[in-house]
Amino acid sequence: MSEISTEPLVMPIANEADIVAARQRGRTMAIELGFAGCDGTLIATAISEVARNILLYAQRGEIILCCVELGGRRGLSIEARDSGPGIPDLRKALTDGYSTSRGLGLGLPGSRRLMDEFAIESEVGRGTNVTMTKWVR
Amino acid sequence: MSSPQRPVAPHSYGSQRPPAAVPIGPVGAIGVDEMQLTDEEVARRMSWLEITADDIANLTSIRDVARGYAAEVIEDLYRHFLAFDETRAFFRDEQTLRRVKAMQTEYFLRLTEGNYDREYVRDRLKIGAIHQRIGLDVKWYLGAYNFYLRAVGSRLMRAFQDDPERGRACYFSLKKLVFFDIGLAIEIYLTTIRRQEEAIRELSTPVLQLRAGLLILPIIGVIDPTRARQLTEQLLRSIRANRAKVVVMDITGVPSVDSRVANHLVQTVEAARLMGATVIITGLSAEVAQALVLVGIDLNRIRTVGDLQGGIEEAERSLGYRVSRVEA
Amino acid sequence: MQVPILKQGPVLIATVQDALTDADLHRLRDDLLQRVGTHRSLGVVLDVTALDVLDSFAARMLRTISHAVRMRGATTVIVGIQPGVAFAMVQLGLRLDGVDTALDLEDGLNMLARTIRSADPTSTTNLAGLAGLAELEWIDR
Repeated sequence: MSEISTEPLVMPIANEADIVAARQRGRTMAIELGFAGCDGTLIATAISEVARNILLYAQRGEIILCCVELGGRRGLSIEARDSGPGIPDLRKALTDGYSTSRGLGLGLPGSRRLMDEFAIESEVGRGTNVTMTKWVR
Repeated sequence: MSSPQRPVAPHSYGSQRPPAAVPIGPVGAIGVDEMQLTDEEVARRMSWLEITADDIANLTSIRDVARGYAAEVIEDLYRHFLAFDETRAFFRDEQTLRRVKAMQTEYFLRLTEGNYDREYVRDRLKIGAIHQRIGLDVKWYLGAYNFYLRAVGSRLMRAFQDDPERGRACYFSLKKLVFFDIGLAIEIYLTTIRRQEEAIRELSTPVLQLRAGLLILPIIGVIDPTRARQLTEQLLRSIRANRAKVVVMDITGVPSVDSRVANHLVQTVEAARLMGATVIITGLSAEVAQALVLVGIDLNRIRTVGDLQGGIEEAERSLGYRVSRVEA
Repeated sequence: MQVPILKQGPVLIATVQDALTDADLHRLRDDLLQRVGTHRSLGVVLDVTALDVLDSFAARMLRTISHAVRMRGATTVIVGIQPGVAFAMVQLGLRLDGVDTALDLEDGLNMLARTIRSADPTSTTNLAGLAGLAELEWIDR
């Protein structure tokens, strides 16, 4: 059994293959952390969505995977950040079916449903930062 | 984002799963190792209770005083325990009593030994777990702490007659540490209860195979988001395991079906369909159905049949079964 | 990672073997559409058992494939969506409306055979050629 990495793991996102690599790594980490049932798949899917957003809107960025612990609970935290164009209307971006690109518009609101915690910061012209966490049940 | 999350301290867990817990109890009891806190978490709790280096110095300074009155306090405490039916029941014979008194003494002296580290926490959790396991209610458990503090307080004051300031300071330090212990004890009680609830929940929703390809899922009780999740996961796994094509989900036993519950049901139906199975929902009353349509739930997405019998009949038809009565 | 496509009588069977990138999915769509035309296939079974994630893009592609194949006169059945994947998809809000699904390859082929038969009961197409179909019990409704 491998040691659980406690250092945040930074995965660059610059092409489609990176999306697959990031979500696979995320799933492995989730299983190592003790996530059971469908949770590994939910986490991998959420990573896929936010990584896809990076590629779609900012062309490049990174996904940072990190084990977290709070009050005796363990979790996996995922940060997706880019220095792309940013999102002008966050409220809209979090609404189902809203998309300014060729996406389905389910990426952000969908990821929020897949995870336990979800936060987004974005500044037009500066970039976007999505942080989401899922806790081991 | 000022999230209070912090990266995990490196020593918090070494491998994928903590090593098997010391067997401290039957099913439902929680392993102390499962609850093991990190050094960081211990430090955070200490600072919440304002336990400082001074407190630790105070505590270790009264070690000898505590040794002096330990036996007395323990005797008093057990006299108190034996005076109440509810607590007396736990000490049926002399031997048990002697054993727990020895343990209690150890616990008691540990309070003034210093080194309030992860080992200390582990010890405390273990004691809490034992009391939870034997079924001592939390009210008696907490009451005993109060007794402790009172008994020790008065003795401390007496010991520090010449320096009451100092006596009080030591007493306050002790109180902080006792509250630290209480926190751990309550936590292990609560965690165990939560575990048991989860176990009961999982048992409470059986997925039954009625015929090849046909599953029945009778849901009884409140559906909250956690349970909805469990139900869905369980159902999806059963669909695969039993190669089910039709599922009859009976919600007659669900006390209230609001839009949130309805949305869970719709999601479950959709997920089952993605796996190639049809879900028929039964037991949804006409009034509830109307109310759901009013709040915008698309009931077209789910197939509903009035009662369980009707649902099973429809399921059998769609599977190609024809049930007929054999004439005598 | 190219997805192998097998021709079995009037049906094409595409079995995904590993995680797919967006480009793989595009190619799968193009390959399938082209083969449906070449072989004048009546049905397509797309086996996604090996996929451990179906995100919004992949789901949209499955829908596109299914609809485009229909426009070429054939029916698509997606088979093998895993429990966790199905759960994640609905949480994400993906429904695959108008796309047929079945538990696995066997069920999918069975379903296709039924569809093909009901669309043209007089068809002389040899449906028994479908893998495993010979042993299967037909359920006529």
